[in-house]
Amino acid sequence: MDGLQVGLQFLFTGLNPLQQILHCVLQWATFARSWFVIDARMQPPGKIATMCSVRLQGKHKPIYHAMSDCGDHVVVINTKQIAFSGNKWEQKVYSSHSGYPGGFKQVTAAQLHHKDPKAIVKLAVYGMLPRNLHRRTMMQRLHIFADDELPEDIQANLTEELPQPREIPRKLSEYTQEEIDAFPRLWTPPEDYKMK
Amino acid sequence: MAARSMLRSVWTSFAGLKVGATCPMVKVQQRIIVPQLPALTVQSRGIRQVVEKKDNKTTTIEGQILDVPAAPQPPNPTAKCPIYRWNLQHKYNYTDVLLLSQFIRSDGGLLPRKITGLCLEEHRKIAICVQMAHRAGLLPDHKPKLPEGHVPKRPKPQLNRYLTRWSIDSVKPIYKSGLKWSKRRMPVGDPALKDNVCYSVKPLYLKH
Repeated sequence: MDGLQVGLQFLFTGLNPLQQILHCVLQWATFARSWFVIDARMQPPGKIATMCSVRLQGKHKPIYHAMSDCGDHVVVINTKQIAFSGNKWEQKVYSSHSGYPGGFKQVTAAQLHHKDPKAIVKLAVYGMLPRNLHRRTMMQRLHIFADDELPEDIQANLTEELPQPREIPRKLSEYTQEEIDAFPRLWTPPEDYKMK
Repeated sequence: MAARSMLRSVWTSFAGLKVGATCPMVKVQQRIIVPQLPALTVQSRGIRQVVEKKDNKTTTIEGQILDVPAAPQPPNPTAKCPIYRWNLQHKYNYTDVLLLSQFIRSDGGLLPRKITGLCLEEHRKIAICVQMAHRAGLLPDHKPKLPEGHVPKRPKPQLNRYLTRWSIDSVKPIYKSGLKWSKRRMPVGDPALKDNVCYSVKPLYLKH
């Protein structure tokens, strides 16, 4: 749909062609569907899922309306390296029922992640979206990848990278020797003590 | 003090012998010469290095004072516990690895309280933070030494975690988590660190 064709629709409105083209450009800019990318490395899946659900519904836009299909695409990468707080890897249980008798399955988060590294994020986002018929279409616009590799067509579409919700703490091996030396010694060991 | 330094030099000369028969002697001497004093009451004039000079018939044993750069003064020097001396109470977390690494051994264990001089509550808090840091993988070089040629039977799953209160093998899955008004919550972090300074608007949640 090019601007000239749309401009012809405005022939009798009293707007000059430049204003008509500008209106088209602005319309496209506001209602365009953008592609976001989130890196889930060392991040809690719940916080990733809230960010995804907000953008899939379109609630981050001032022009949001539930019926106006204003959701964006979200790509989540590195879901294999997701980090749960506490002991949730062992305590959190994902349940499902196949519908047949004796088909109730309960799997811990660690087992589910081993079987399918994408499932935890997918289930988290699915549970945070509104329970209506739009949910399935919004899930189709969510793209989850277990590692860094993206197909080229998705990589070409990406527009913005979202900041990570959790600050990744630094390991002791990642500190430089100068930083370690700059930190003062809190206590002096007795001279005779056999250290470590 | 002179007698002490002389006895000390005798100990070092014995230690150089490395003969099995004299080992218990050396240990006894160590016990006599090295009293277990808490770090605070030791009045040290400086760490000394024992130097032996041998002429034809005379041997001079001298304790030469090493030049140790003066450590910066803590803001509250009158307190007993090192954390209270530096005003770090309620301010550290499992991520402050530079602080925690000062109180651990090379295989990851904590040093005894009598040596470090920590008060009981801070010692326990530091123990909890070190545990959480180990489980988060923030202290990769402080692992215990495995015997040579040890191959683990099953490859352990490399799962990222943080703020883990309980040990990994001791926790059981919550099969029946309950309804919204009576859920069995999953604990995160530790109640000992509840009084930590919170710079965010949201409070620290311990039950997720």
